[in-house]
Amino acid sequence: MENLTEVLQLFLSIDNFIAIALGVVIGVTVGSIPGLTATMAVALALPFTFSMQPVAAILLLVGIYKGGMYGGSITAILIRTPGSPASACTLLDGYPMAQQGNAKKALKAALFSSVIADFISNIALIFFAAYLAKIALNFGAPEFFWLICFSLTIIISLASGSMVKGLLAALLGILLSLVGLDSVFGSQRLTFGNYNLMDSISFIPLLIGLFAIPEIIEFYRKKAIPHIKAKASGVGMTLAELKRCMKSIVRGSLIGVIIGAIPGTGATAAAFISYSDARRRSPNKANFGKGEVEGVAAAEAGNNGVAGATLIPLLSLGIPGDVITAIILGAFMVHGLTPGPIMFQENLSLIYALFLGIMFSSLILLVVGNAAIKYFSLIADIPKSILFPIVLMFCVYGAYAVNNMTFDIWLMLAFGVVGYLFNRTGIPAAPFLIGFILGPMFEDNLRRSLLISNGDMSIFVRGPITWFFIAITFGSIAFAIFRFFKDRNAKLISN
Amino acid sequence: MKKIFSATCIAACSGALLLAASISTASAAEWPTGDVRLVVPYAPGGTTDVLSRRVADLLKDALDTNVIVENRPGAGSTIGTGRLARGGRDADHTLLMASPGHTIGAAIYPDLAYDPVEDFVFIQNVIDIPNVMVVPASSPYQSVVEFIEAAQDKNMAFSHSGVGSSIHMSGELFKTLTGSQMTAVPFAGSGAALPALLGGDVDVSFENMPTVYSHIKSGDLRALAVTSAERSPYLPEVPTLSEIGEHNLDQFVTTAWFGLIAHNSFPEEGYEAMQAALDEVMERQEFLDFAEQLGAQPGQVEGEEFKQFVIDDLARWEEVAQQAGISQ
Amino acid sequence: MSSSGLSNVKQIKDTLDVITGVVLLLISLVLAFYLVPNYIGEPSILQNPMMSPRWLPNIVSWLILAFSVLLILQGILVSSDTENDERKIVKGPYRRFIIMLIAFLVYVLLFETLGAILTGILATVLLFLAHPVRVWWAYGFALAFPVGVTLLFVNVMNVPLPLMPY
Repeated sequence: MENLTEVLQLFLSIDNFIAIALGVVIGVTVGSIPGLTATMAVALALPFTFSMQPVAAILLLVGIYKGGMYGGSITAILIRTPGSPASACTLLDGYPMAQQGNAKKALKAALFSSVIADFISNIALIFFAAYLAKIALNFGAPEFFWLICFSLTIIISLASGSMVKGLLAALLGILLSLVGLDSVFGSQRLTFGNYNLMDSISFIPLLIGLFAIPEIIEFYRKKAIPHIKAKASGVGMTLAELKRCMKSIVRGSLIGVIIGAIPGTGATAAAFISYSDARRRSPNKANFGKGEVEGVAAAEAGNNGVAGATLIPLLSLGIPGDVITAIILGAFMVHGLTPGPIMFQENLSLIYALFLGIMFSSLILLVVGNAAIKYFSLIADIPKSILFPIVLMFCVYGAYAVNNMTFDIWLMLAFGVVGYLFNRTGIPAAPFLIGFILGPMFEDNLRRSLLISNGDMSIFVRGPITWFFIAITFGSIAFAIFRFFKDRNAKLISN
Repeated sequence: MKKIFSATCIAACSGALLLAASISTASAAEWPTGDVRLVVPYAPGGTTDVLSRRVADLLKDALDTNVIVENRPGAGSTIGTGRLARGGRDADHTLLMASPGHTIGAAIYPDLAYDPVEDFVFIQNVIDIPNVMVVPASSPYQSVVEFIEAAQDKNMAFSHSGVGSSIHMSGELFKTLTGSQMTAVPFAGSGAALPALLGGDVDVSFENMPTVYSHIKSGDLRALAVTSAERSPYLPEVPTLSEIGEHNLDQFVTTAWFGLIAHNSFPEEGYEAMQAALDEVMERQEFLDFAEQLGAQPGQVEGEEFKQFVIDDLARWEEVAQQAGISQ
Repeated sequence: MSSSGLSNVKQIKDTLDVITGVVLLLISLVLAFYLVPNYIGEPSILQNPMMSPRWLPNIVSWLILAFSVLLILQGILVSSDTENDERKIVKGPYRRFIIMLIAFLVYVLLFETLGAILTGILATVLLFLAHPVRVWWAYGFALAFPVGVTLLFVNVMNVPLPLMPY
């Protein structure tokens, strides 16, 4: 009881509420601007938290993190420009929806599933942190290797149209991801002596280039379509639609929670895994990639499910799972707190006050997101001839902002041309992106495992987790082959 | 002007402050004449970035001008440093937070467009973070010597946060000096490396103090030694590697050092004003508290001594990189 | 003779796929035989071939080769069931496209020398003229956005965009 009053004392401070609200607003805004990432905003806000109370300080940063996770989806849906890497998956269905005049629906779907996923993720953080942290510790390089292998199988379900083209796209993505310094020997790979390439190809210029720029090129290449004066933003999401998506949202959230609890995988992978899982199970499979509301919901659930869960290894083990949580760890340390088992013994009230604040942030996200949608959805009504030049300007500034290098502007436009050629030849961009993200993880964990075991291959089958992922990897491939023949038979019969 | 922090008593402190004040008033007319830029050759959010922002914040008061932090990440720290080396219009008001990346980068990257020593002036070493040799709690090795003896016939895996990090190079240095059988296992940052260490997948690591301090305290990791020249006040019971004395370890002194450098066209009055300002910053309680949270110690060298320190550091890493086959 | 050659060409079901496949095939050959051996350093001692920095690039190159051959075969043999409109676009006037390219070049070539604001305004106005925007106040955006966004980036987000021509 005594504890409870202490918790409430720590939590019920006006500073905390201001910090959360401010954090979410900053996060949504920054997240929605291409090139400006939640990571940057968190890093910039960190010095301001030095003088704040610890609870308010952490909540501000967590608020930015969560807001940023959602904010990225806004521009992904409206202008095909993912504000953050994790929202790249959202645009696969979000942008087509906006093009069909359902911008508002897509935005609402993204918001609702983000909030629900966020909530589920928080629950997991509060009640299952200890259990999930144990899984995280048992997740070594070989387990990671199989998780990545399983994740690679989602390329099969993302390769809409031609399987061969999808696999080619993924291979090209893997190839480009290998540019840079070799992670084991430090030798150069396909950098051609260019220093700008040594840290490998920057992700955000690639992302913007691949998705936003082809739209712009196409617009200026195409015959002009007279602008139709109609409200393009459309209506919101109905309750029935939300209900229909609910299963995918919950599943996506759980995927996000598990991926988030394992340090080092990231929200982008979670979004794609959730998306492909939803697609595999959905009765509207054919509509995925063409503007399916469930696709938007699944993608956003996956990436927001990660947010709360990344705090699990941080709080319970003192291990930051990504750059943002590393910064939050820094904020804890600035206030003389060291996350980890000791904090649960010494500062339990503070942790519970944080939990309350984190739960509250989901609610704030709903309110702020709703307000944002109201104004942002107006973007869908702006004629493209005015909108696109301004989008291009944002893309250029954003690409530059990532590393403060003009080289990244070149890179972005080059990938714009690649993306345009992909569209013209029917090579899908999503598998390319998956290959680019997972390629280095695949290679690193393979080699890491071999280094740990000193070349002994038996490390790849060392425990139940590896067997589990081996089983679902091959299961997933077998399912895809079965599906392929079934579809072909069905086609033959109908012919 | 050798500065040993433990030796500063109140009188010396106020004397230094007076001196600092007189220098800064003498040179305030000439430098700074505008905003000062502090280039951080790493991405936002890393140790170097957090540290730089903290220092910039305190420098603002000491210099009485705006100090703008600018991240120029890429290729170790060589892209940001290369930019500074090119000089240019603002070179007289631009500083850079150098770290082991400065010397290790120069040791492992081929054909750098700059000379890591001659192209810069070395103002002051601001902070030193020791690395700690840690093993998982379940590890059978209780001391460094036991570890080395076991490593003569068993191959030990050590985790590090990326090729060319001070953690990686410390491991390679240990391997070279002691003749142990060790394999470097790279991870994407210390955060990703920690679970492998806690879970016992790797045998040892030479992690930065702030990363592992809480795990040492909680008993999940066991500290065998620290890499700094003197024992760390935060882990007083843990020996330094150099005091072990056997297996050539007396040569093993290395820290993750951070210090301010500038282009070699940096004006003399700026150099003096910066040293005075840094002296002031490093005596501020906020700074000392911050250093304590990092398990770090305020820097020990400045000016020519700092330059010599960098030269020695560079020579050492060049040798280690060559032995480990990392240099290209 | 010539007619049989012509009928062969006609049998190709999807010319675009064949061209794409050939291009990718060429890329994979360049990769496997030139780029990977020449531009990826390999340490002299290797315990395990899988540890080599060339291992995955090699595999990927050969897989691209294999799949591009498959794509060529698919293009020759299988007619794409949906003559998908997504791949084809009705092309507009070249003038507009060329102005867009100029705007791109303005960004990459002048960004450092002219600064973010001026290039932003210049490129945006160019693009407004390319796909003519006839509402005069829209040109206010072309001024306001580059200025506003640059100031936001520089002052609030601490992003050092190049500001002014020196």
